[in-house]
Amino acid sequence: CWSSREIEDLGLTFAIAIDKGKETNTEKELKEEGGSYPKKDNITLTYQFVNEKAAGAGTSGGGGSGQGAQKAYINISETGDSLQQIGSEVALRRDREVFSPHLKVVVMSEDVLHTFPIDEMLDQFFRDNEIRLSCLVLSAKGEARDALQLKENGEIPAFRLIGLGENEHKVSRILPPMTLAKLIGKLHSGSSFLLQNVVAANGAVKYSGAAVINGKSKKMIGTLNEYETEGITWIRGEGKGGVVKSHDKKSQQTLAYDINKIKSRIQPIVKGKDISFHVDIESEGDLVENWNTKEALDTQFIDRLETTIENEVKKIVGQVLKKIQHDYKADVAGFDESFRLTYPHLWKRVKNNWDDTFSKADITYSVNVTITHFGTVKTQ
Amino acid sequence: MFSPTSKITTAQATIIIINYMLAAGVLTLPRTVTEQTQSPDGWISVLLGGVLAVIAGMIIAKLSQQYPKETFYEYSRHIVGKWLGHLISIVFITYFLALGAFEVRVMSEIVDFFLLEGTPSWAIIMTVLWIGLYSITQGLDPIARLFEMIFPITVIIFLTIALMSLGIFEINNLRPVLGDGIMPVLRGVKTTNLSFTCSEIMFILVAFMKKPKNAVKAVVIGTGVVTSFYMITMIMVIGALSVEGVVTRTWPGLDLMRSFEIPGLIFERFESFLLVIWIMQLFATFIITFYAASLGVSQVFKKKPLSCMFGLLPVIYILSCMPKNENDVFILGDTVSHIALYIFGALPILLLVISKWRKRGEK
Repeated sequence: CWSSREIEDLGLTFAIAIDKGKETNTEKELKEEGGSYPKKDNITLTYQFVNEKAAGAGTSGGGGSGQGAQKAYINISETGDSLQQIGSEVALRRDREVFSPHLKVVVMSEDVLHTFPIDEMLDQFFRDNEIRLSCLVLSAKGEARDALQLKENGEIPAFRLIGLGENEHKVSRILPPMTLAKLIGKLHSGSSFLLQNVVAANGAVKYSGAAVINGKSKKMIGTLNEYETEGITWIRGEGKGGVVKSHDKKSQQTLAYDINKIKSRIQPIVKGKDISFHVDIESEGDLVENWNTKEALDTQFIDRLETTIENEVKKIVGQVLKKIQHDYKADVAGFDESFRLTYPHLWKRVKNNWDDTFSKADITYSVNVTITHFGTVKTQ
Repeated sequence: MFSPTSKITTAQATIIIINYMLAAGVLTLPRTVTEQTQSPDGWISVLLGGVLAVIAGMIIAKLSQQYPKETFYEYSRHIVGKWLGHLISIVFITYFLALGAFEVRVMSEIVDFFLLEGTPSWAIIMTVLWIGLYSITQGLDPIARLFEMIFPITVIIFLTIALMSLGIFEINNLRPVLGDGIMPVLRGVKTTNLSFTCSEIMFILVAFMKKPKNAVKAVVIGTGVVTSFYMITMIMVIGALSVEGVVTRTWPGLDLMRSFEIPGLIFERFESFLLVIWIMQLFATFIITFYAASLGVSQVFKKKPLSCMFGLLPVIYILSCMPKNENDVFILGDTVSHIALYIFGALPILLLVISKWRKRGEK
């Protein structure tokens, strides 16, 4: 067969990190020896390969070899100005060529997202026949390649990053996965959107907040923190779970509400030339923590707790709305979609300047929380 | 063996229609239609396109029923005279050759890009051509039997993988229904005709049917099945990739399968399954066009069928190698489908009218 390649000769790539061009020490030394070619040092790609030696010897234990247990992955960085060329340049440094049909995640640093339009940066990924569209796209605070490091041996950071995204039912601060497939539509519709952000420190990674990408420039214009990201989940009604913590007004004691269901309805209202919105949020969940052990769990008390949670959610929603409407002027919460569905004709006229229209619209919101269960503590 | 002695049943005729119709469109239709509609209503266009295809097929079937046991190449002389009949037959032959070459080329493009990168395209095309030749030498009956095997595999795999893509399906991508009115939908109908060029096969097929009176039934059921296939494809692809996304992708149908993974199942990825059934369907379409063209040459020029088949082989090869790049391939496809629209849309009605008029004259 013409196109057959032995699997032993392929370097399986699971993750790629894209950073602003900054050559690594190894690269610099290679360059001093004359190992370079004409290029601008715009971007640095870090390929994460599976370390076949370590991966094969998963259960060997004891660490007989000199340097102890090995990492399950190898990261190789290469700097240049074309993603494809950087990839082929890696083949000059590694006997196993880059083989990316199993690429799971692309991490882009905030620096890159600020500087380059994301559609240009990802064109090679969209065009390539090896890379699947199911690949996840994340943004990273600081260096993106740091998100591809782990302190623990035996685990591959790419899978950690993917796995974190699957915890949606436990925490409402995770955005729905933005895969290349979903990104294509976003990029061509011209609407602003969010990328899940990760932070990394000392070989630990955490999903934290989101990067706001402007729909027109396709560049990053700011970040949302965890708290604000949660607000987006509430507005979109996309949450599958999570916790709302608050303090009971009367007793100042901590209480926690476990979300079972979020339902939200964004209602666009058009009056003449004025566009406004009303967001109606409903939620059901359980009381899972209540430090106020003095009061009886009666209807009056439950009502008070519900109001407390409602106020907390309103605070969350209000804060993020203020930020995306006034600071970023970017509709990343899906108001455009509800408007498009309700007023398809009007949408054609406003869609080109939507972020502007959105930032001037009046938005009201109401929250209705129902506590359905109180856990296994009956009376207090 | 070309004389219609080997008869096919109505079910076989239906399956031939389905396999002939299902082809390149599964992978490209969502884009070509949405480019025109610019709205999520492409699936309605497909539905209307299907209805038009049924009507066209019915007219051709009615025409063919007037001349039992004769293919178009034979009966055209009764309607418009020998020379004009030959001329139209040659147009038909050219059309079948061009369509066959297009299907072969698309197959080689996809196989080269997604499956066998590095394999020279002549190697892929040759294989297809020779196997195609082998499968048509014995006439329509073996073809029908081959199709009877391909068909259930296609249905089962297609429905299964379409269902699996539900995980990335977003209903809002398909809404609002008819938000821009009916006009975009109608624009989309025009582009569906490459996927629905099928009815012309009735010019030939009816002559081989055991019960020619069931021809209309075969057209309706066959086209109905294909229409639902295409509608499912449209809905799933747009639901996953959105209108804006679909128009930017060369092979949106395949992209749908590349957009999700299902960990935990025996297979995580399903694009190879789609490619398997899709290659089978392209092959099916190709051998029918190959057969129809060879039959035409043989009947028009009174030559031995087998030599016609061998003679047309290099012609198809050269035609399929003519487009220089992907864009040329799609231009070839568009041209073929536009020609089909004119010759198979308008001509049959005309011929049917003349034929009825002549028959009345004879009485």
